[in-house]
Amino acid sequence: MANSKSVILKIKRQQTPESKPYWEEFELSYRPGMNVTSALMDIAANPVTRQGKPTTPVTYDSNCLEEICGSCAMIINGQAKMACSALIANLKQPITLEPFTKFPIIRDLAVDRSVLFENLKRVKAWVPVDGTYDLGSGPRQSSEMQEEAYPLSNCISCCCCMEACPQFNDKTGFVGAATIAQVRLFNSHPTGSALKTERLKVLMGDGGIQECGYAQNCVEVCPKELPLTKSIAAVGGQVMWQAVKDLFRT
Amino acid sequence: MSQPKIIVVGGGLAGLSATIKIAEMGGHVDLFSIVPVKRSHSVCAQGGINAAKNLKGEGDSTWQHFDDTIYGGDFLANQPPVKAMCEAAPGVIDLLDRMGVPFNRTPEGLLDFRRFGGTLFNRTAFAGATTGQQLLYALDEQVRRYEAEGKVTKYEAWEFLSAVIDDQRVCHGICAIDLRSMAVQTFPAEAVIIATGGVGAIFGKSTNSVVCTGSAQSALYQQGAYYANGEFIQVHPTCIPGEDKLRLMSESARGEGGRVWVPKQPGDKRDPKSLPEGERWYFLEEWYPKYGNLVPRDIATRAIHKVVYELHLGIDGQPMVYLDLTHIDRATLDRKLEGILEIYEKFVGDDPRDTPMKIFPGVHYTMGGLWVDFEQRTNIEGLYAAGECEYQYHGANRLGANSLLSCIYAGFVSGPNAVNYARNGIKSGRTPAQHVYNSERKRQEEINAHLMNNDGTENPFLLWRELGDTMTKNVTVIRYNKNIRETDAKLVELLERYRHVNLSDRSNWANTSFVFARQLYNMLQLARVIAQGAAMRDESRGAHYKPDFPERDDANWLKTTKAYFAADADEPRFEFEQVDTSLIKPRPRRYDVAT
Amino acid sequence: MASSASSIDTSSARIKEGVAPLRAGQGYSFVLRRLHSLSGIVPIGAFLIEHFISNSEATKGVQAYNDQVKFLTSLPFVHVLEWVFIFLPLLYHGIYGLYIWYKGDSNVGEYPWTGNWLYTSQRWTGIIAFIYIAYHVIDMRFLGVHLMGGGYNNAFSKVWFDFQSPWTIAFYVIGIVAVSWHFAYGVWLFAAKWGLTIGDQARRRFGYVCAALAILLIGIGLWTITGFVQTPAGQVPYVEHD
Repeated sequence: MANSKSVILKIKRQQTPESKPYWEEFELSYRPGMNVTSALMDIAANPVTRQGKPTTPVTYDSNCLEEICGSCAMIINGQAKMACSALIANLKQPITLEPFTKFPIIRDLAVDRSVLFENLKRVKAWVPVDGTYDLGSGPRQSSEMQEEAYPLSNCISCCCCMEACPQFNDKTGFVGAATIAQVRLFNSHPTGSALKTERLKVLMGDGGIQECGYAQNCVEVCPKELPLTKSIAAVGGQVMWQAVKDLFRT
Repeated sequence: MSQPKIIVVGGGLAGLSATIKIAEMGGHVDLFSIVPVKRSHSVCAQGGINAAKNLKGEGDSTWQHFDDTIYGGDFLANQPPVKAMCEAAPGVIDLLDRMGVPFNRTPEGLLDFRRFGGTLFNRTAFAGATTGQQLLYALDEQVRRYEAEGKVTKYEAWEFLSAVIDDQRVCHGICAIDLRSMAVQTFPAEAVIIATGGVGAIFGKSTNSVVCTGSAQSALYQQGAYYANGEFIQVHPTCIPGEDKLRLMSESARGEGGRVWVPKQPGDKRDPKSLPEGERWYFLEEWYPKYGNLVPRDIATRAIHKVVYELHLGIDGQPMVYLDLTHIDRATLDRKLEGILEIYEKFVGDDPRDTPMKIFPGVHYTMGGLWVDFEQRTNIEGLYAAGECEYQYHGANRLGANSLLSCIYAGFVSGPNAVNYARNGIKSGRTPAQHVYNSERKRQEEINAHLMNNDGTENPFLLWRELGDTMTKNVTVIRYNKNIRETDAKLVELLERYRHVNLSDRSNWANTSFVFARQLYNMLQLARVIAQGAAMRDESRGAHYKPDFPERDDANWLKTTKAYFAADADEPRFEFEQVDTSLIKPRPRRYDVAT
Repeated sequence: MASSASSIDTSSARIKEGVAPLRAGQGYSFVLRRLHSLSGIVPIGAFLIEHFISNSEATKGVQAYNDQVKFLTSLPFVHVLEWVFIFLPLLYHGIYGLYIWYKGDSNVGEYPWTGNWLYTSQRWTGIIAFIYIAYHVIDMRFLGVHLMGGGYNNAFSKVWFDFQSPWTIAFYVIGIVAVSWHFAYGVWLFAAKWGLTIGDQARRRFGYVCAALAILLIGIGLWTITGFVQTPAGQVPYVEHD
């Protein structure tokens, strides 16, 4: 650490999807409670590198700044993390910021994570309600069911689980833990289960649940502590039953 | 039947609920959002959503909900739409329940309800302490379903710049910018619904998300839309002060029994847990025995301000008071409040199950907004507004857990109305000439080119800090006319300095400083509406409090402020409109005694 | 329509393609991966256990070991059995396993956590096992003195002579450890992936069981080696080498 009152940031930057990445270093004055997003805001307000060279504000995704929107995921000191909840005081200096490596880069720390939303579309991650007109209350559910469903429904689509997964890459085209957890959520819903068979069959396609190698990084990096490995195991069982049924009962 | 195309701007609860209704009615939606819609600010809502389902045997009714909302809003809201909203609320909850929102349950498997501020009934359905997130996801999933069916096209990472309005003052679409390629483009539609949320960024740090700049509303105001009740800004009593934002500590913390207190002795440095009951001052409970810690937000906020700034009893001399949950057992806290307690734990480092939280009020909600009629129409034909960006449902102060309801309800009203309007338009052949689109695009491209090439010395991010500081200092909890006028002069100065803004980034790809600079201009213009509206209203009502005019003045001020933009003078002008109080006669708003 | 849609394309066209989304109904990777997982348990795993137990007869002496080989080599349809239940599954498991290894991107450097180490170790033990088993099968089954037909009497001595080299012993020790570990963790993975151990606790507990299995197999393997190594030369019949 340069001195206790300053923060050194090393940021991997890239102007455009086509250009070459490069590193820039920044030195900021430390304030208690500072997090990575407020450091990036400080740079925007005074975009000058540690060497005194004027530069541009860093492009990064952010929105809620309270770890519920899922925007500001990036690689912080080598690991996938949310920038808003990454407190400077808890990070080893110099702090390195890099964009996610497994998603197409847009600029600097911003990447395109739309593949997750596409995957959610493909597994039909929704409850097929008849319509929005008044059809009375929903199905009764016990507190236990709610307590199973709620943690899964907390997924903020940050894609940390996918970034950290050794199996999520171009060669496998693996769907990743987040989508599998949503399959579990909707398969367990009384109405959502109407699409269970369809979802499981989709998960048997290339890039499906079979590509999981159980490295379990997903559950470790998940900022919302979703039960991801448990979900992969549960859906793995469901998929197997579906396969057996398809093979011997249709 | 004709297939109208409707543009929805904003992918929060209001935008998504409108989208669902339109798609269900057979229309096609082009859905525009700065962020992927699943990351919209609605996710930040924590505590719950109100509906008088009366599942607790308390004799609650939709009328009671209506009365609480009108009374809580200090009678400034037009009453018929609020009544309709409260009557629709139980149906909205049922629908969300059917869509799979994991609401907390009673032992019998029914929806559980908690108590929120400004009511004596357990009326708030909740999904842990992340209700907004859960509601938004449920709607996001339904929209994704329609997207898969080809009924919705999403334009994520696009930002609204302006409406396309013809010479007859009819809106025919929008002009937007691709936030990656920076290309400006117009999009035609038979109707447009604006659902772009609140304006928190005008106050610098707030509980709002980064995208909540009010830029779209301001652009429309500058294009001739009325902006109503801009001076009503809710300051939430319990926020966690932070470096980059103020993080909300939900009212549900008090709904579940949280108590607000300060040490009786000024500057007491002892560990809060070691203080005996006798040395703690539960000032809300003492001042408001009936509602206690659950007085409405404006009341609680002013009480905390008074304790800190007038009585100098803030913790350790700092602007903070305790919000204490430590008397509640951990299991209950984890079951009902885990989400928000984790936020505190993550961002402050202390466990609120063991230590009282340190909190302070922060700018939270925009009661005012685009003026709309009871059909959610703005004064520009073909342009609708829904959600926090419009002014309809909360009067002078919003009750906790009413925002999620008003967003969804306004979406459900605006969507079908827009479809019907669009169908009539198709029948009558209401299509504009191509030049209307071309000239709007050209206008926006010129603004962009000018900004991009501007040679000046002003940093937009620093101008924004000055804006936030002056607005927070003078136009929030306590308002004095002298300070507000100084603030407006400061805004004029900032607008002048804006002309000398210098972008440190002039590239044409994902240029965030450029986009921010455009938003900043709109923030400055809208800030003047807020400040001048506050300066004019010489009374105290709901969130608007002037010590020099401490009473509500129905004779002169029971009316809606309507600002419009005078382009030649480059400043707001004001009109006033009678409030529809046809259902409940205004009565004094007192939470300190039984009424 | 107003202006052209070209600018929409400019932005999406410039951003590179990322990892592909799910390909519903496409390819056979599901069947192949599940078959890979299953083949590791049965028949390969089952044979492995049988093989370790049979070989441990070596600790009882030359005659006991040769008798066991006699019993196995005289099973009916022995060639069909060994090809269908041993060689082909091994080839499939090994070659498809290499393909799986190629597709994964180990990242224990960045994420040095237990599960990730185990993931990586499963790849490395798989490679070692592949090389070791290939050598072992070729050497024991196809080269040198043939044990099929009446050759079983030479079984003990064939192995014994091999073990005269400390390098061979070392290679066997590494091979046995790798194979045992790979198999035991494979059993754990099988249970997790096929949804037999869903809960975190169940997976943790079954992890202990599998760890015990690995240690047991390694123990049997090493004990068997000592059975050969500690047998004095005088007790071992001389075998003609090619």
